[in-house]
Amino acid sequence: MALRLLWASRVASHLRISVAQRGFASAVLKDLKYADSHEWVKIEGNKATFGITDHAQDHLGDVVYVELPDVGLSVSQGKSFGAVESVKATSDINSPVSGTVVEVNKELSESPGLVNSSPYEQGWIVKVELSDAGEAEKLMDSDKYSKFCEEEDAKH
Amino acid sequence: MRSPRTLEVWRLGTVNYLKSLKIQDKLVSERKAHQIPDTLLSLEHPPTYTLGKRRTDHNLLIPQSELTKIGAELHYTQRGGDITFHGPHQAILYPIISLRSIGFGARNYVETLERSMIEFASMYGVKARPGNKCETGVWVGDRKIGAIGVRITSGITCHGLAFNIDPDLKYFEHIVPCGIADKEVTSLRRETDALLPSEEVIHKQLITCLANAFSYDDVVWKEDPSVILDTKDVE
Repeated sequence: MALRLLWASRVASHLRISVAQRGFASAVLKDLKYADSHEWVKIEGNKATFGITDHAQDHLGDVVYVELPDVGLSVSQGKSFGAVESVKATSDINSPVSGTVVEVNKELSESPGLVNSSPYEQGWIVKVELSDAGEAEKLMDSDKYSKFCEEEDAKH
Repeated sequence: MRSPRTLEVWRLGTVNYLKSLKIQDKLVSERKAHQIPDTLLSLEHPPTYTLGKRRTDHNLLIPQSELTKIGAELHYTQRGGDITFHGPHQAILYPIISLRSIGFGARNYVETLERSMIEFASMYGVKARPGNKCETGVWVGDRKIGAIGVRITSGITCHGLAFNIDPDLKYFEHIVPCGIADKEVTSLRRETDALLPSEEVIHKQLITCLANAFSYDDVVWKEDPSVILDTKDVE
């Protein structure tokens, strides 16, 4: 866990953002937006990059397969667009925004484990061209998402 | 103070694989819409080989055309995991539960399924263990007794686990079970000298172990399976 916080700090200083550190909590990066199904999204103008969060990858276990969408696919906020497999479980991934897929992370076909080791950087999954930039308002910021994760984990 | 959690259990007898998929699809939608509580299907399948999302059909060792000759079907599914066999005297449990309600991810869920089977096996003096990394499932030594393959959509589970009570293990010779080449498959019958009660009793015990592992407060045993089996939607 200490190693992950060290990694998160390094990522943070590289991206010049701060990290919410709460002892043993998973890393949550400021300046990203978050969906309640544990996807993160980075919005730059009309383009967005997204993947699954550190909390998500931790709860999934070792990812052995990522089902990537085709370039050109339309995605809708909150709807499934692909899946990951870990511990004999396929889990749907939902799109945090609506738009059209312009690029997918082909590295994940060879190295699905990047989703675990680098969920916010090398483990990015999809880049889209946004169809509705206003939708991002419906997502959580890093503080809200951190709290959301704490509340979810407290359920058991 | 959390509200009490209920598990509704349907014991369905032998159900064709495709029919069981349709039943599960319907239940997943209903669970997602909060129309039903967490639900568990307990059943068996006729001889059926199934593949997971990765479609690892290189692990089927006989041509598909031979399958009808041995009285088996083959189905491709969206679950995780590799190829496996389901058949008579193998207890299948398909939990349709909301993982978000208990804050579980895939890993916790699968580990709890493993614990359910391990607890059940211990009732017969069988010391089972969870699989090593990449070998999810339940093992007695190096012999696999319980398999897991799960799908999670919008936080709701379907597919589940298969525990070998006393299936015809010859069927497993036609596959590389779960993609693991050098390990055997075993059954409760093989691993214990204990007298096995009726399969109805055995299924009930396995269900109870799962309900306990997931800390349900109430288990509701549904009496009339035709309610689920005979609806127009699942024909």
